[in-house]
Amino acid sequence: MKKLVSIGKASVLFIAVALLPVLAVAQSDAQRIAELEAKTAAMAEALTALQGELKQAKQDGTLANTAELKSEIVKATQYAQRAEKAANEWKNSTAVTHIAGYAAVGYTDEENAMDSFDVANFNPIYHFQYGDRILWESELEVNVGDDGQTEVGLEYSTIDIFLNDYAVLVAGKFISPLGQFRQNIHPSWINKSVSAPPGFGHDGAAPLTDVGLQIRGGVPLGEQVKITYSGFVANGPRLEGEGGELHGIDTDGFASDADDEKVFGGRLSILPLPKLEIGISGAFGDAAIVENDGLGLVGDPSRDYQVFGVDYAYQWGNFDFRGEYIEQDVGNAAGSVASKGGKWATWYTQTAYKFGDAKWEGVVRYADYDSPHGDETQKQWALGINYLLTPNAIIKLGYEFNDGLAGEKTDNDRLLIQVAYGY
Amino acid sequence: MKKYSWKFPLIVTLAVPLVFGGLFAYQDATAEDTAGSTPADPMQFVRGAKTWANTCARCHNMRDPRELRDDQWQGVVAHMRVRANLTGKEARDVLLFLQQSN
Ligand code: HEC
Repeated sequence: MKKLVSIGKASVLFIAVALLPVLAVAQSDAQRIAELEAKTAAMAEALTALQGELKQAKQDGTLANTAELKSEIVKATQYAQRAEKAANEWKNSTAVTHIAGYAAVGYTDEENAMDSFDVANFNPIYHFQYGDRILWESELEVNVGDDGQTEVGLEYSTIDIFLNDYAVLVAGKFISPLGQFRQNIHPSWINKSVSAPPGFGHDGAAPLTDVGLQIRGGVPLGEQVKITYSGFVANGPRLEGEGGELHGIDTDGFASDADDEKVFGGRLSILPLPKLEIGISGAFGDAAIVENDGLGLVGDPSRDYQVFGVDYAYQWGNFDFRGEYIEQDVGNAAGSVASKGGKWATWYTQTAYKFGDAKWEGVVRYADYDSPHGDETQKQWALGINYLLTPNAIIKLGYEFNDGLAGEKTDNDRLLIQVAYGY
Repeated sequence: MKKYSWKFPLIVTLAVPLVFGGLFAYQDATAEDTAGSTPADPMQFVRGAKTWANTCARCHNMRDPRELRDDQWQGVVAHMRVRANLTGKEARDVLLFLQQSN
């Protein structure tokens, strides 16, 4: 019996020992479940918070903004691309409009005359260009006259057609290509002297403008030497008579030809060095008196008209040398109100020197103008000092020693001040 | 009865357009310079700088490349091509130089 009891005890013990790990397992499962439950609860909490945030975000529109932002970025990129294209457009456009020109104001203190602010002009230049084929250039001259009236003139207006690398066809009213002063130097911001040399104004020795056709260009001769040319056919000048004499040659450029004979002319120049140009000019044709004693005249016989000129320009270091001779001749005409012809001739030579960091410039010019009329004939020494505010804005102070017929304006010395700006 | 000799001006007038205009009329300038059709010429800028230095202060004070925008230089150089009798090539070289130096 005792043995049976002990077997029972041993069995219980055995079962208990065998069950121990099971119990242990049961114990760790419970722990894990508890942990999982805790995690789940935490996740549920986080989810609720997230849902809350989401709800809030939807209410705030933050999410909607993100989508909008995306489309904004796309739009902005497209806009930037268009803007970049537009920004470069003007660099690549075929047709270009450009405004240039110059303006000047001046004061003259003349011997035996009133001192006045006597220059106030504004010359706008318009350029309309089509690729490398066409340039339309027009210059207006707007100034205040002695009487306070504003005067407007068409200085030139031409269509320039680039035929090839060596030839441009110029049609319209053009600056006379004869000589150098008129076509290259006369704008006030370019002319280093305050005034034009005697004989280069209206009714003088040098032709101003003409209406017709011109062909011009440049041709290289080898590496360094270059030739330039211009040839034209145009209406030519009109003559004025006064008191039975030929008064002057009006070369303001006319859109009609009073004598029905065209004027042909041109200039040929050579540049043996890049900074040295030597030119020779000539023209011939007919001209007729169309105005006598201030009244219109029709039917006066036409007569020979000729121009001849030579010019040079040379830059050497800070020096600028230039000079020019030009004459206009008119032949005799039997049966005219002024039958005797005449010759208007002038020449000048000018030296300019830049100093003081190219801010200052000294100029000396000598000129000698011969006209059939004694009161126009003049010899002149002109001295000047210029201050260059910029390369195209100049303050000029000049003094002219004039030697003309005693008692005439051409004999009065003058002090001149001018401010000129080319833009 | 002509009192004045007309031979010199006649020669100048007729010879000039005939010789230069006619001689070069067949050379089509634009074929050469249509933008983009020819590979960039690395020497063009150098030639332009040289032509600028030699030519652009012949009549007036030198104008600074930075004075104007690219499109403005286009108009000015066309203007100067006519006024200063530049060849098409000189004009293209100078324009490139000015546009790259402003
Ligand atoms: C043969 C003389 C001459 C040469 C050479 C010359 N210019 Fe000019 N330039 C002028 C004249 C004359 C004007 C004034 C035009 C007018 O008033 O009609 C001018 C005007 C200008 C202007 C003012 C804007 C305008 O179009 O009128 C600029 C800028 C200019 N030139 C730049 C140049 C450059 C760059 C060069 C070199 C390629 C050059 N010039 C070579 C004579 C010249």
